[in-house]
Amino acid sequence: MTTAPAAVDPTVAGQSIALDWIKANGYPTKRHDAWRYAPHQQLSALSFGPPVTPAAAVFNPAAQIPVLDGPRIVVINGVVDVELSSTTGSAGLSLSSLLDARRDQPERIGSHFDHGNSEITDAYMALNLAFGNDGAVVLLDDDVVLDVPIHIVHIGAPDETRNASCTGVVIEVGARSSATVVETRIGVGSEFGGSNIRTTVTLGTAASLEHVLLQDMPPSHVQLSSINVHQAADSRFLARSFNLGASYGRAAYNVDLAGPGAYVDLSGLFFGFGDQVLDQQINVIHTAKNCTSRQSFRGVLDDESTGIFNGGIEVRPGADGTDAEQSNQNLILSERAEINTQPRLEILADEVACKHGATVGQLDDTAMYYMQSRGIPATDARRLLINGFADQVVDEVGIESVQAWITRRLGHDDV
Amino acid sequence: MLHVNNLTAAIGSKQILNGLNLDVAAGEVHAIMGPNGSGKSTFAHALAGRAGYDVTGTVTLDGVDLRDMEPEARAAAGVFLGFQYPVEIPGVNNMYFLRTAVNSVRRARGETEVGARDFLKVAKEAMDLVEMKQDFLDRAVNAGFSGGEKKRNEILQMALMQPRLAILDETDSGLDIDALRVIAGGVNALRGPERSMIVITHYQRLLDYIKPDFVHVLVDGRIVESGDHTLALHLEDHGYASFVNHELDDAPERPLTGVQS
Repeated sequence: MTTAPAAVDPTVAGQSIALDWIKANGYPTKRHDAWRYAPHQQLSALSFGPPVTPAAAVFNPAAQIPVLDGPRIVVINGVVDVELSSTTGSAGLSLSSLLDARRDQPERIGSHFDHGNSEITDAYMALNLAFGNDGAVVLLDDDVVLDVPIHIVHIGAPDETRNASCTGVVIEVGARSSATVVETRIGVGSEFGGSNIRTTVTLGTAASLEHVLLQDMPPSHVQLSSINVHQAADSRFLARSFNLGASYGRAAYNVDLAGPGAYVDLSGLFFGFGDQVLDQQINVIHTAKNCTSRQSFRGVLDDESTGIFNGGIEVRPGADGTDAEQSNQNLILSERAEINTQPRLEILADEVACKHGATVGQLDDTAMYYMQSRGIPATDARRLLINGFADQVVDEVGIESVQAWITRRLGHDDV
Repeated sequence: MLHVNNLTAAIGSKQILNGLNLDVAAGEVHAIMGPNGSGKSTFAHALAGRAGYDVTGTVTLDGVDLRDMEPEARAAAGVFLGFQYPVEIPGVNNMYFLRTAVNSVRRARGETEVGARDFLKVAKEAMDLVEMKQDFLDRAVNAGFSGGEKKRNEILQMALMQPRLAILDETDSGLDIDALRVIAGGVNALRGPERSMIVITHYQRLLDYIKPDFVHVLVDGRIVESGDHTLALHLEDHGYASFVNHELDDAPERPLTGVQS
């Protein structure tokens, strides 16, 4: 199992609570619905603890990540790399490491750490609370419109000292402000390892955030992401998740529509090869009245890969006027590939419009024939169809250079 | 140019084409008419190379035996099928699709590929031919197109592919009279001494606009009657019943009042 906390950093709030939680509750198993398809053996081989910067921290991530105009925070094994980062803020924007923010403005990142015993959902959240004491912080004041994206780059570089790291990300968007944040997750080397990255997003009244997650870890990595969003009235959250890399890539979104009129649109693509397991765990909670939620995830699964879409919509009592939709469409390219899709709806309010649907299909023979009859060779026709399916998610991304990076990553050029 | 000799096609145990013979010379337009289920569409797909049919007999185009060729190789050899039901391909940009198609065929023929800018120029000319607006190119292939738009897109593809042999399968189905005129105008503009066409249709109506050199009646998977365009007029008046009955009860030659050639 996970290593005992050898050198506990006493400055991490709630560290003992978190570790006590694990002692009392243990690690998730296949019996936990949200962890049913996770590779528990691999997970148990991860040694989490306080961050360790790799000895030879020389990286040039530029070749592996989209190049964006705007500030960048680079985190290696849970520790911010000042050299690789450019954190110059602008009016109303504060960028810093989580470590610095905890020292300088602890009140603004409280939502990330202040989780009592009852709010811890699983051991990996507890581990992150205990050891994820550094990371990236993006704080945007009220009434600020950012026109350049903020890029947070996570690099996993497991070595013999420690093969797993925890990182925290805090994003706060003030009232009526808007921003775009891209979180790119890559790794170096081919050693087994893992990362546990927990993002806390707080949106003020009528705030707006587009959050793009590009998970492209090497196949020797296990990658756990959780994005936890709290939305005030009339706020707008757009999530664009590209779960592409790692042997196990987990993208968990927990969204609380806490203020009336809030809107969330979660869309994502998972594209598996080899024996990858790509897991989307979605929980949207309609707490306030008249909120709208959209979930739209597409999976493409080749070889022996496995995809999971576990999509929850919870409509709390009193959340009347809820409008919730969910869809999961999957393209299976191999007889040995597998998709597990499950909607979970719990509706405890009146006047609720709630739709959900899932499809699983193979490449359309008729479309293949149609393209071939136009002279397009079968291999190209197949590629066009797959890309066409995936591109409908890529098109949702608001930044062209990120779109271009994804299409390149998926192995095709587009017009 | 096209020689079809004793062509049979079956799906499983169901025999659809029963020894079909047809010769089409360069520049000719042949219409194939026939009742539902007579094998018209199967003939079209057998020429285009759709998988799933057990085929015997010979089909050659310019002396090249098509029978064991994949659909893409037939396209490179100059075969084009305008689909009765053009396929919707969400997510694939129409312009990208068209250019990929044209360049795939060029590559297969050892010709240089056309760049995006040059292609756009050619595409615009072709679009004028079928009165399509620019935004057709930006949409996904046939996705959400109306029936008429889909058929125009087929003719647009034909104009860009410049086939030796165009097979138009029920191109008139689902079209109103204005759309029919546009489509027929496009087809007629593409007629030429080096291009042959097989126009498959249920109704005489299309042949008012695309005047065929020959008309063939297909019943039970074989051609039972051939004539000039007046044969179509006869069919319009009398239907297919006499041909079908002829097969069944070996009735004497029915009068073919329309055929005077």
